[in-house]
Amino acid sequence: MNPYILTILLFAMGLGTTITFASSHWLLAWMGLEINTLAILPLMCQSHHPRAVEATIKYFLTQATAAAMLLFASITNAWITGQWNLEFMSYSLPTTLVTVALALKIGLAPLHAWMPEVLQGLDLTTGLILSTWQKLAPFCLLLQINPSNTSLLLILGLASTLVGGWGGLNQNQLRKILAYSSIAHLGWMILVLQFFPSLTLLTLLMYFVMTFSLFISFKVNNSTTINSLSMSWSKAPIISSMVPFILLSLGGLPPLSGFMPKWLILQELTKQSLAPLATLAALSALLSLYFYLRISYAMTLTMTPNILLNALPWRLPSNQHTLPLAITTSLTICLLPLTPAIITLLTL
Amino acid sequence: MLKILIPSMFMLLTTWTSPFKQLWSTILMYSFLVATLSLTWLAMPTDTGWFYINNYMAYDPLSSPLLVLTCWLLPLMIIASQNHLAEEPENRQRTYISLLISLQIFLILAFSATEMIMFYVMFEATLIPTLIIITRWGNQMERLNAGTYFLFYTLAGSLPLLVALLIYHSSMGSLSYLSLTSLPLTCSNLYANKLWWMACLLAFLVKMPLYGVHLWLPKAHVEAPIAGSMVLAAVLLKLGGYGMMRIMIILDPLTKELSYPFIILALWGVIMTGSICLRQTDLKSLIAYSSVSHMGLVAAGILIQTPWGFTGALILMIAHGLTSSALFCLANTNYERTHSRTIILARGLQMVLPLMATWWFLASLANLALPPLPNLMGEIMIITSLFNWSFYTLILTGLGTLITASYSLYMFLLTQRGPIPHHLILLEPSHTREHLLLALHLLPLLLLIAKPELVWGWTA
Repeated sequence: MNPYILTILLFAMGLGTTITFASSHWLLAWMGLEINTLAILPLMCQSHHPRAVEATIKYFLTQATAAAMLLFASITNAWITGQWNLEFMSYSLPTTLVTVALALKIGLAPLHAWMPEVLQGLDLTTGLILSTWQKLAPFCLLLQINPSNTSLLLILGLASTLVGGWGGLNQNQLRKILAYSSIAHLGWMILVLQFFPSLTLLTLLMYFVMTFSLFISFKVNNSTTINSLSMSWSKAPIISSMVPFILLSLGGLPPLSGFMPKWLILQELTKQSLAPLATLAALSALLSLYFYLRISYAMTLTMTPNILLNALPWRLPSNQHTLPLAITTSLTICLLPLTPAIITLLTL
Repeated sequence: MLKILIPSMFMLLTTWTSPFKQLWSTILMYSFLVATLSLTWLAMPTDTGWFYINNYMAYDPLSSPLLVLTCWLLPLMIIASQNHLAEEPENRQRTYISLLISLQIFLILAFSATEMIMFYVMFEATLIPTLIIITRWGNQMERLNAGTYFLFYTLAGSLPLLVALLIYHSSMGSLSYLSLTSLPLTCSNLYANKLWWMACLLAFLVKMPLYGVHLWLPKAHVEAPIAGSMVLAAVLLKLGGYGMMRIMIILDPLTKELSYPFIILALWGVIMTGSICLRQTDLKSLIAYSSVSHMGLVAAGILIQTPWGFTGALILMIAHGLTSSALFCLANTNYERTHSRTIILARGLQMVLPLMATWWFLASLANLALPPLPNLMGEIMIITSLFNWSFYTLILTGLGTLITASYSLYMFLLTQRGPIPHHLILLEPSHTREHLLLALHLLPLLLLIAKPELVWGWTA
């Protein structure tokens, strides 16, 4: 893509999210979300492949619906309370409608159906932007509204963790697996939103770091299916040996850093006397762990039968910028001992 | 003590920076040094209570025998793995050794943790190197299934444990072992408290393993390479026993009624898995089921909650650790020669490898709990305390002892005695390395006859 166009689009995406961050008026918040959506659409269909265009259209329709619902909810709130301020949404109809609209925007179950299909149509980099940057603005809004109905957020959260686990079980396309993993992690974030919002932010940031490592590792191997990952041991042996740790971190195994958000969320849920919910959410993480484990089996822990000529390709110096990958992989693996410091930072 | 932990951590660095020709000797030397230093933990200056205590780690008579066993096992694993890794590329050998060393680090932290969440994190942390050892270096296709079973059985048990610990923490404020004795959970007869009790114990029962949830163990032990089998049998199962002993303190009034089905299940498991051993064709599978059988007895001993029960459980855990690891090393000597685990393919070995037959003899005798070995001491103490709890358990435990004796003897007679098959005449003679390995396993066991106070635990 023409670098000027790319710059304009990336700036526009940044602008959209920043407008939403900075807004206290519902109209401005909605406007930021719309700018964000519109800016990413050309990025998504830049290859002009029919599958990419299909994904773009699906994304546009769902996000437009969600934005329209958001606008409708804020207008209803303005009608009832006479003001447009973000924080003073006190009636249950607008609040619930805003929550559902934002759930559709980020892809929480049961409003998740668009996510795997949209991610499947994109290339890995745009998919990464979709999974990470596009979640920031809706979460900013979710963190600021006072939830009216306790059970709504809990149902959204639990359903997302379960759907994210079960949905990814039968996939062999990596992008769909990453979509279901995103749904599951978003579920964890929503579970604790009304009790300890800083933990939502922590889970979001940890998820960004972990999923960045995973997307970029897959991009370095240029593979989009599990089968094509099996040759990565000869292309990039160190990345192949680190990916099981990234995957197990996404699955929430101690002593990797992915355990930190899950542990803190379970602690908060038990403090709020929601222990059976905590147990159910923890066990649903095992479902996701199964397909993460399967990817790591295919990539690192088994060696595919192959022709010897293919096993030792020329390893030419690559142009990929792997420094961000190195940084985020180290953070994904080693951040757990810093938990007390991170909690202190969160509760400042 | 950091004198043991920090050198173990830096052994990771040594693994990657040693010159390749000296890799195995260097690592062996350092791990023997660490193992020798760890023997200082056995000198317990106080009879009960904690010693060598710092903010996060502490040792008491319960954890120090298990810690010494862990540190002792690393050089043995290095000796055992040397042969089958010899043809692998250099970096893979270094990776394998790093996995073994990191397993030891996590185990030291687990056994010496003073706070239950730290114990939990390290308990789970040991799963990752073990999983990688089993699935990457195992030899058959079934190893992937074995790794999955191993990981998911353990995690399905331990996630409720995490929630249970967090519940206790939120109501009592602290999960430190030092304060647990004075903070039992105030107990009403709510059904939820019973679920909490179950959640606390399930992880350890799966790890031990208890008979109903033991399916992961034969798979994992059989498919793992020799170092994996050794560490699984000798130490990782004992993590379950150790955790159970630690957490019994807070489960107190509930355990009197709720432990009935689990004691019975454990004792029934002793008999059932013993009987399965008599019908096994796979040597490692036989040893794995014998592990389940012994650990069933340990589980019953711990659930009884008497001083003799705990003592017997601890002694049996240490003795079984050494014995089972020795048996797996012996099975590995067979495997390296015939590349098969089928028992009948490698029988009558006393004719061909007479010196190895001595080790087979001693290990089989230890397995069937011959006096005066510590195996017998542990089993007798557990059987006695069970008899004190209820007369009828004597039927189950007596039958269990009989079946244990019969399958141990069966294993010995089948592998050593009788005519050798024709294809076995050209076996490699026993290496000195293998003799050293087995001597280092069985010599501590024999020495423990003289001073079992070292592994007695709290009861002096």
